[in-house]
Amino acid sequence: MVLVFIDHDGTKPKKGGLEAVTRAREIAGALNSPVFGLVVGHGIDGVAAEARKYVDTLYVVDNPAFAEYTPEKWTAAAHAAAQKAGAKAVVAPASRTGRTWTARLAVRLDAGLLEDVLEIEPSAEAVVAKRYTFLNRVLETQRAAYPVVVTSKPNAAPLAEPKGDGQVEALAVSLGELEARVEVLEKIQEEKKRVSLTEANVVVTGGRGMGSPEAFKLVEELADLLGGAVGATRAVVDAGWRPYAEQVGQTGKTVQPALYIALGVSGAVQHQAGMNKSKVVVAVNKDPDAPIFKETDYGIVGDVHQVLPAMIEAVKKLKD
Amino acid sequence: MKFVAIIRQVPDGEAKLREEGGRIDLSGATMILDQMDEYAVEEIIQLKEKHGGEAVIVAFGPERTKEAIRTALAMGADRAVFVKYEGDADPITEAKALAQVLKEEAPTVVFTGGQQADWDSYALGPAVAEALGWPSVAWTTAFELADETQATAQHDLDEGAQRVQVKLPAVFTTQQGLNEPRYPTLPGIMKAKKKEIKEIPAEELGITGTRVEILSQAIVKIERKQKILDGTKEPEKAAEELVRLLHEEAKVI
Amino acid sequence: MALDFNLTEEQEELRKLARRFAREQVAPLAKEYDEKEEVPWPLVEKLFEIGLLNVSIPEENGGLGLGLVEEVIIGEELGWADMGFFTIPMASELGITPVLLAGNAEQKERFLRPLTERPALAAFALSEPGNGSDAAALKTRAERVGDHYVLNGTKMWISNAAEADWTVVFATFNPELRHKGVVALVVEREREGVSFNKIHGKMGQRAAPTYEVVLEDVRVPVENRLGEEGEGFKIAMLTLDKTRIPVAAGSVGVARRALEEAAKYAKEREAFGRPIIDFQAIQFKLADMMIGLETARMYTLYAAWLADRGDPRHIYASAIAKAYASEIAFDAANEAIQIHGGYGYVNDFPVEKLLRDVKLNQIYEGTNEIQRVIVARHIKKNIP
Repeated sequence: MVLVFIDHDGTKPKKGGLEAVTRAREIAGALNSPVFGLVVGHGIDGVAAEARKYVDTLYVVDNPAFAEYTPEKWTAAAHAAAQKAGAKAVVAPASRTGRTWTARLAVRLDAGLLEDVLEIEPSAEAVVAKRYTFLNRVLETQRAAYPVVVTSKPNAAPLAEPKGDGQVEALAVSLGELEARVEVLEKIQEEKKRVSLTEANVVVTGGRGMGSPEAFKLVEELADLLGGAVGATRAVVDAGWRPYAEQVGQTGKTVQPALYIALGVSGAVQHQAGMNKSKVVVAVNKDPDAPIFKETDYGIVGDVHQVLPAMIEAVKKLKD
Repeated sequence: MKFVAIIRQVPDGEAKLREEGGRIDLSGATMILDQMDEYAVEEIIQLKEKHGGEAVIVAFGPERTKEAIRTALAMGADRAVFVKYEGDADPITEAKALAQVLKEEAPTVVFTGGQQADWDSYALGPAVAEALGWPSVAWTTAFELADETQATAQHDLDEGAQRVQVKLPAVFTTQQGLNEPRYPTLPGIMKAKKKEIKEIPAEELGITGTRVEILSQAIVKIERKQKILDGTKEPEKAAEELVRLLHEEAKVI
Repeated sequence: MALDFNLTEEQEELRKLARRFAREQVAPLAKEYDEKEEVPWPLVEKLFEIGLLNVSIPEENGGLGLGLVEEVIIGEELGWADMGFFTIPMASELGITPVLLAGNAEQKERFLRPLTERPALAAFALSEPGNGSDAAALKTRAERVGDHYVLNGTKMWISNAAEADWTVVFATFNPELRHKGVVALVVEREREGVSFNKIHGKMGQRAAPTYEVVLEDVRVPVENRLGEEGEGFKIAMLTLDKTRIPVAAGSVGVARRALEEAAKYAKEREAFGRPIIDFQAIQFKLADMMIGLETARMYTLYAAWLADRGDPRHIYASAIAKAYASEIAFDAANEAIQIHGGYGYVNDFPVEKLLRDVKLNQIYEGTNEIQRVIVARHIKKNIP
């Protein structure tokens, strides 16, 4: 049996959840088993109605105690669902939270953990998975015998298509002393004006070379013209020029857009770890020796303060 | 109170990786204390400085891991417990071994890196917590110890963040912004020589193999076109040419 | 089996710390401070925090009591990042060394301990406007008046001076006695009659501050005299016999940087359809750089090892190390520019700075000509 955790935004399944369904179906194919789904939250009838279309049976944990995420509660819910389904494999999206509670679940199920997988090759005995390691610089093939817990890398799997109406079952989860030990005091929302960084097709990132927070007006202008998101390097975030939510890199977000434009970004390895799988990389930097140029398809050696306004004009002209 | 940081030794991000027979060969790479673990070491030293008690390093890995342990001791930790294990490991396997050590150490708070720079994994911290039956907080950006039984923390979610109150003992994983890790000092290096590193063979903890097997590793190299234009003299022209290439050749705008 | 090229575990740790500090803290600011011609005090403060400033001060005076081998390890790393920056702690050790060699217990405690308690520097003033290498021909006068000396004269090319808590000033109480008429006095920065003029327009090492020190009726108490009257010249020479070893270490650092930069560029830069490192003309240059680097590093460590053991051979060994390392480093920097072509000649790349900086290593703490005089003196005396 295979269990898939479908995450959601409160009203419908998220993209990551539907990608996880795709991986769950692949494993179910190898095991010749049905797919069980799990949705967790409070007041999520709408989510359940949508999510059931992707699975044979959907467990719903809908309970005020699950209004706010904690890894302990999510693990408890997934564990209860896995037990009930008799799951040999559990799949979840490799979001930051997904990769946290699944680690707990793997220990609880004594399962092998295949994290952030790009693709999988399941058999009746084991799952072989490909994933990036060493700060995104190495492609690693891993194998884990069942039971396994798999998290699916964002944007790596095709979105699952709905296929009928699965059975919906409310699942009771008993919470013990462990789950009571974390209390959520406050949820802090991220300010969001544009498309989310991880989902954007175009990312325009400014680095230290922009020179000042004011210079990011032009970065924003180019991003808006291209319908993209604004990114920032760690140096820029540390300097307080841009919010952390925009940081691309090892400790920030990992992006894989069709077009990545790096402006005044030198391109430290930690930054590259967050963007080096982008399809087309563009860089503008006055230092011809900047490491970013090694990861660049199209670049300009020059002063970003002269080049960027000219790029904006050229894009505008193109659009007319 | 006792504060523990779990650390790993990983290749320096700037180090060139080498591939040998379908595996990554680290023998020539510069190895360092994982930078995400540095935040953990800094945090427990600060906790010790503020609240008293002991700052203990717990590490897992091959013999060379001792270099990273020495760095952590030179930063100011008091002593270390080192579970020695040669060969591949995975975070779940490591967590099970370390849980046995931590049960005995009985710390108030455990910190470890939010991500390991070799495994690119987020799992170690929460897996250790699970193996101990303790709560875990991932990607911690702020931490405040109330007393021996309670702490508050702020940590990153997928989008946005949470502030939580946690009953201790608990495991916290680090995120950039938690603190500013100090350098080891030269006097610290000299003192570290005399600090205890208790070595435990992994077999003694029942660890003989790894749950997840590595079949192969290959360095990823995306071939880039490397069309670099000179924009030092005529920036407008270079910009126009760039936009034309992106439109006509790459077809991305 | 006594020959052993291994560093101790602590020395390896020290190298790692110095390398990390050099790479993360010093190198990124090297260009900026060179352009601004400004003392990087924030870096000096950080160097102090991690314990790498004034490392030779003995433990009983609050220091770490490290030897020259350790200074050489630190010197290569800091020299790699910015030779100009390295000159600041190096010149401070130059000021500390005469106190170590000739100071009494009270003086060591009074002058050295404060340098371990906060980021602070020392300095050494021997050269004068009219005499550099002929160190015995001092013009600066020290006239004994009761329990004081009264200093008058001008000292030239003094590293750190105005930045330093105190400077060891060498002066003559009787010029006719030549080198037997020299006295070494510790002169605190705040003493009345001491003034400093910063020297501008230096070709390189522009982060390191260099001063002219003017002494006008400066009263210095006898308690500040190192050793006896007449021992000053000996103290200065004994000092330089040791302190030119770190100059060699800094040169080794510059040579390593030059090789690394040149190799990196040669692998990336293409000509006639292949990376230029494939051409023998480039390969020979790089190989020569490596030959120089490896031999200079080994010999510098050897000289430091001799000095730490109190072996008198360090006198000529330090001279060989200083002259040799600074020359191979100059050549390495020069060839690194050549390999870079036109790019090597502009400051977008770090190699032109290496050449400007390392030129000074052939000049200060005894020109390379003076080093050869020292070596020749040894040959005359000891080689049959």
